[in-house]
Amino acid sequence: MTRFTSYLALAFALALTGYAIASDTMPAPPQAKPIAIKGATIHPVSGADIPSGTIVFDNGKITAIGADAAIPAGAEIIDGTGKHVYPGLINANTVLGLVEIGAVRATVDVEESGAINPNVRSITSVNPDSELIPVARSAGVLTALSVPEGGIISGQSAVLKLDGWTPDEMTVLSPAAMHLRWPNLTIDRRPRARKSAKDQQKEIEKAQKQIRDAFQIARSYWQARKNPGPDFKTDLRWEALMPVFDSKLPLFVHASTLAQIEAALAWAKEMQLKIVLVDGDDAWRVAAQLKESDTPVVLGPATSLPSRRDDDYDSAWSSAAKLQKAGVRFCIASNGRGAETNERNIGYEAGLAAGYGLPKEEALKAVTIYPAQILGVADRLGSLETDKAATLIVTNGDPLDFPTQVEAAFIDGRKIDLSNRQTRLRDKYREKYRRK
Amino acid sequence: MRFPGCLWLAALLFFAVSGTAQVTTVPKQGIRENDPRVHALTNARIVSAPGKTIEKGTVLIRDGLIVEVGPDVKVPAEARVWDLAGKTIYPGFIDAYSRLDLPETLKPEPTRSDVDTDDPNAKPKEIPRESAKGTRSWNSRVTPERKAADYLNLDKKATKALRDLGFASALIVPGRGVFHGSSALINLQEADVDTMVVAPVVAQHIGFDFDRDGRDGDRGYPNSLMGAIALIRQSFLDATWYQAAQDAYRKNPATTERPETNASLAALAEQMQRNPAVFETEDELDLLRALRIADEFKLKPILFGNGHEYRVRKTLAEKKPALILPLDFPKPPEIERPEQALEVALDELQHWDRAPSNPARLAEAGIPFAFTTEKLEKPEKDFWSRVRLAVRRGLSKDAALAALTTTPAEMFGVADRLGSIAPGRMANLVIASGDLFADDERVLTTWVDGHYYDTDQARERDVRGTWELTAEGKMLPLVIEGKLEKLDVKLGGEKATVSVKDDAVLLIAPAKLFDKGEGSVRLSGQVIGETIAGTGDAPATPNLRWSAKRTAAFTPVKKPDEKPSPLDKPLDFPETYPAGAFGRVAAPEQPKSLLIQGATIWTSGPQGTLQNADLLVTAGKITAVGLGLKAPGGAAIVDGKGMHVTPGIIDCHSHTAISRGVNESSHAVTCEVRIGDVIDATDIGLYRELAGGVTAANILHGSANPMGGQNQVIKFRWGALPEELKFADAMPGVKFALGENVKQSNWGEKFKTRYPQTRMGVEQIMRDRFRAAQEYDAALKKKQGLPVRRDLQLEAISEILSGKRLIHCHSYRQDEILAFLSVAREFKIKVGTLQHILEGYKVADVMAKDGVGGSTFADWWGYKFEVYDAIPDNAAMMNGQGVLTTVNSDSADLARRLNTEAAKSMKYGGLTPEDALKLVTINSAKQLRIDAKTGSLENGKDADFVIWSGNPLSNYAHVQQTWIDGRKYFDRAEDEEGRKAFAAQREALVQKALTERLKEIGPAKEGDSEKKDDKEPPKISAQEQQRARELEPIYGSGHDKHTCLEDAASP
Repeated sequence: MTRFTSYLALAFALALTGYAIASDTMPAPPQAKPIAIKGATIHPVSGADIPSGTIVFDNGKITAIGADAAIPAGAEIIDGTGKHVYPGLINANTVLGLVEIGAVRATVDVEESGAINPNVRSITSVNPDSELIPVARSAGVLTALSVPEGGIISGQSAVLKLDGWTPDEMTVLSPAAMHLRWPNLTIDRRPRARKSAKDQQKEIEKAQKQIRDAFQIARSYWQARKNPGPDFKTDLRWEALMPVFDSKLPLFVHASTLAQIEAALAWAKEMQLKIVLVDGDDAWRVAAQLKESDTPVVLGPATSLPSRRDDDYDSAWSSAAKLQKAGVRFCIASNGRGAETNERNIGYEAGLAAGYGLPKEEALKAVTIYPAQILGVADRLGSLETDKAATLIVTNGDPLDFPTQVEAAFIDGRKIDLSNRQTRLRDKYREKYRRK
Repeated sequence: MRFPGCLWLAALLFFAVSGTAQVTTVPKQGIRENDPRVHALTNARIVSAPGKTIEKGTVLIRDGLIVEVGPDVKVPAEARVWDLAGKTIYPGFIDAYSRLDLPETLKPEPTRSDVDTDDPNAKPKEIPRESAKGTRSWNSRVTPERKAADYLNLDKKATKALRDLGFASALIVPGRGVFHGSSALINLQEADVDTMVVAPVVAQHIGFDFDRDGRDGDRGYPNSLMGAIALIRQSFLDATWYQAAQDAYRKNPATTERPETNASLAALAEQMQRNPAVFETEDELDLLRALRIADEFKLKPILFGNGHEYRVRKTLAEKKPALILPLDFPKPPEIERPEQALEVALDELQHWDRAPSNPARLAEAGIPFAFTTEKLEKPEKDFWSRVRLAVRRGLSKDAALAALTTTPAEMFGVADRLGSIAPGRMANLVIASGDLFADDERVLTTWVDGHYYDTDQARERDVRGTWELTAEGKMLPLVIEGKLEKLDVKLGGEKATVSVKDDAVLLIAPAKLFDKGEGSVRLSGQVIGETIAGTGDAPATPNLRWSAKRTAAFTPVKKPDEKPSPLDKPLDFPETYPAGAFGRVAAPEQPKSLLIQGATIWTSGPQGTLQNADLLVTAGKITAVGLGLKAPGGAAIVDGKGMHVTPGIIDCHSHTAISRGVNESSHAVTCEVRIGDVIDATDIGLYRELAGGVTAANILHGSANPMGGQNQVIKFRWGALPEELKFADAMPGVKFALGENVKQSNWGEKFKTRYPQTRMGVEQIMRDRFRAAQEYDAALKKKQGLPVRRDLQLEAISEILSGKRLIHCHSYRQDEILAFLSVAREFKIKVGTLQHILEGYKVADVMAKDGVGGSTFADWWGYKFEVYDAIPDNAAMMNGQGVLTTVNSDSADLARRLNTEAAKSMKYGGLTPEDALKLVTINSAKQLRIDAKTGSLENGKDADFVIWSGNPLSNYAHVQQTWIDGRKYFDRAEDEEGRKAFAAQREALVQKALTERLKEIGPAKEGDSEKKDDKEPPKISAQEQQRARELEPIYGSGHDKHTCLEDAASP
């Protein structure tokens, strides 16, 4: 119960602060001086936990970490006694910034029309003032991949730090990946299916042809572009796919069922393209193949229903454990559109996977260093190491379990305001009852 | 069986056909034809009724009626004599359900509208519909006044096709709507329609039909199964009221306001008293639903089946409704590719395997049934092969015959005229080459009303046997064997060809047999008894004469390689309920006493949380919670060391286990629809949620209407039938809703006219209906005037007003909440819960004052505009203001994690762990008014509890066991075992199905007659065929398994 009382005290303190600055959340100013968090349990993720250690960061980067890391003169010292320091959590499949209120069309910028849109880029539509962003980071999610959706080739995603005045300031990496969505291959054979099995088969064949054609044409374009003749004309779509052929832009393939995953893997092999698998409900069924081809998986949320009537009740919950056991590279993410308002819960997804067989330290990695690696930003993010970005959280416990609070967060060493639309409303109505 | 409604008709028609010649009102043109209509069918084996056979006897027919049957019937001189030696006579068969060629507007609406996917401008196909005319029901799906007899327009081809199968009569059924209309029983002779009708109105046909794909927009009531059932119920009440109102008006026209005239209600009123009701069903639960309705309105039910009857045969055996069974046994599922097999559920495989045994299982259970050709794609090919398959699966031949004769005759009230061979019955007969229920025998002639109709096989001569052929001075042995349709002929040891058409025989043989050089001889002749004689041509020898004499009859030899087919037996796996993976063989046992020892027990009651404590359960009830309890002798003991025990979780907002439609979203007010009518006990969600510790839930109607349907509280007794899931003592409730959903804000451009379109209108429609219910109650008390129409919608609203029914109101914004609460206050209404109530934190003080519960989400928000102000502190803040608060799921997924959803209220809002757990246990029970029975671990309550591997509020804990009523419905260890067992069963069925699939997708064999007349293009691509052939050796070895199954067995 002691933890609980201290929590109450903290909540009270937060409430007061929140009330005092009842205004829109401000982006934090650049780190002005060195900061040291002292006496906390530090979880670098990349190495063993350091009980009662110190972490120092300056100019946005971690400068020292250890049991007796030296604290530079003039540093702001934060007493971390009883606290825990973790890298900021990373959610590798979101639509943050692109969707505000799912049901209000005017606030949705996530699906361009048409099936082949490799040229559209999420970073151009990210709304830095989205109320969803402060909510996500208040739970320790400090980095997110913002992914365009829809069609077959949906466009290019961006890795965002969840604080900044402009999309540019928020950008960690853009473009981060090209997103291809494998068409549904399952034919609904129920008598009341929307379309006949024959028509469904036709749709499937059409979509698969579109994928084959797009990449074959793009490859021709890529070759033609190397020595363009006088009549060469630009095509923005194929232009956008060139970095994929140059192995400069990873190809993320969203595929869920066994049939989709097998088709995607076979296609990638034929096209000699390295891919990252996203969603991957059935990925565990082909774990050996994924391991062999070194295909990483951005696993959909652990809290999802089994996709088939006969599946084990915990098939999604235990899916990460199965991939991990098989040696497949993976991370745990959410499922994009539909989850946008609760991207904060990614830590709980990992925790749940840990409840169903994933070792706890692996669960933590699955939302920190693993996504950083898969997104190609592990040189900067995902673990607490010197020279990496000081993007970290201070908590009063395990961030993958309840009722842990994130008490402070830093992005590039900048102390982030953890208040948000929700805490402001909470404080406003607490005040209503206080006045009664 | 007694169908009084048909008796007067029977009498009338009996009179009509009993004259010397059929009386007709048609003016005669030309010379009259008065053939003596006397026939003697002699020397036949007569199966006069199931179980009654005369080995050699005569049937005497006079003027369309059977006058004598027996071994020694004296044949009158005027009789035309038919020598049927070696043949079998059956009573004419009755097809218990047929549409023949009724107009399109009476056939079922097509279930999907295939549109060309390549054409963006393609419009869905127009559905032919009758335009509404005359006085009739307000609802276009209620057409009980429609009579099949009025639409009969039979073409000869269709009736012949049925006759060729041996059917002399058929029930013709209009096939569309909720009340389809009435069926007619007709004889299948070639005659004018008016002569064919045996009974013009046999039964009213009822379908659970609704606007499935939203074709009819928001006017399309019903658009859910529960809506269809509500409409059925209200229509029966309306019919009864209509009759009473008309009577009342007739008595006092001067002082009574004239009631409406309505042909639909008039027809229904008349028929519900006189005729049976045929309910058309889609799955096994529909059978039970139909029986409930039949009980409620005291109808004589006939159930048009769906093939799944065997799954509920125990219940059917208790009620003994008559069944009409289609024989559309499923095709083998497509499982040859592993990723395809993955998409086929075990219950589908099981059903494929078991469906042909359905008739045998029902016969064993003593349930009467009739067969029909309906639903067969190609009855001419499939009907008899399916009947015979059912017989090989253990259905007795007598039972199969009864399903074609006596049972339908009784069902339709014509057993005195049809269904058996006896004096006084109509001369409807089937002449068969032998035992029709064994292979290879065929229907030769069908007699209808004393007229005979030959099939193509009738005059076919069986020339098989050994003959001596004489021609050109030679005598050669001629041996004819094989099947009738494919004779195997040898002349003098050389292969020859014989074709037979009626009595004409053509024999083609090598000319060298007659020393006529190269080429063939062609011999044609006539069969006369046991001889053939004729002429022929040989090369250079025209007009040679030949003859043959049969010296030995043909004796079919059973080929030694004709092993019993694996299809003749279902695999030997126990039947579970529900069918498919994770079903139960029986309800879990209830130990007399049970002691959980040494656990951390969260009672959610006055005892708080106890460490190292025990829980004692006796006969399903909690009898003690405390430290160091003694186990009674024989008690089952569960070691709870390191475990946590909590009350079963109760989900206050669930849509699990609902069949065909969560919402009756058509009308703004639908309080008449009942979730309780459509509980789906087969929903795997029940099992999955048990695995998350859920023991009870409030199954709610959706939120498309300000005043929606009635909810149903259930316990998760997985494996039981719907009625057994219902929580007996739960207070009835109803779903209300406010805001964006009910004003159709996010429904699209088509939905902009239904009232209400604003929150203002929402409040007004509620006031209006509450006033209507008050006035309805007042009217019920009046004695004079027209009888009051019983209105199930107003009745439900009236129950709200009288405090018998609780409102669960979907709500978000504070303004709408306050407006609704003020309406509730004005009408003194009990509000059980405000559901979602995401701005409850803004008005928690008002809610607390009004004593209204709040049932909310842990942290959902922002998915639509009205929830932009939702905050995760909502539950804790409402709780803090004294509101009875719960956290619910509204999701089949989240329902499985309600423990951690509750835990979020510790993080947001700082609830204590005990208070957090109460959000999903005792508080839920209180909101649903079931807290006297469940929700906490206290003496005397139901033993509904969960054993957790650790702290239930931690993400790392999982459910070990879930108990309801002292029975263990979920156990993680048993689940592991079940996975393996079901995977093994699945694999065995896949192996069996694969053999069948390979037959279907394999290369067509020569002489495969079935393939030849199958004009459809092959469904499997060449690639797929190749793949299947490659797979054959793999599957055949029995060693390799699907990768999915191997992996599924690992933890």
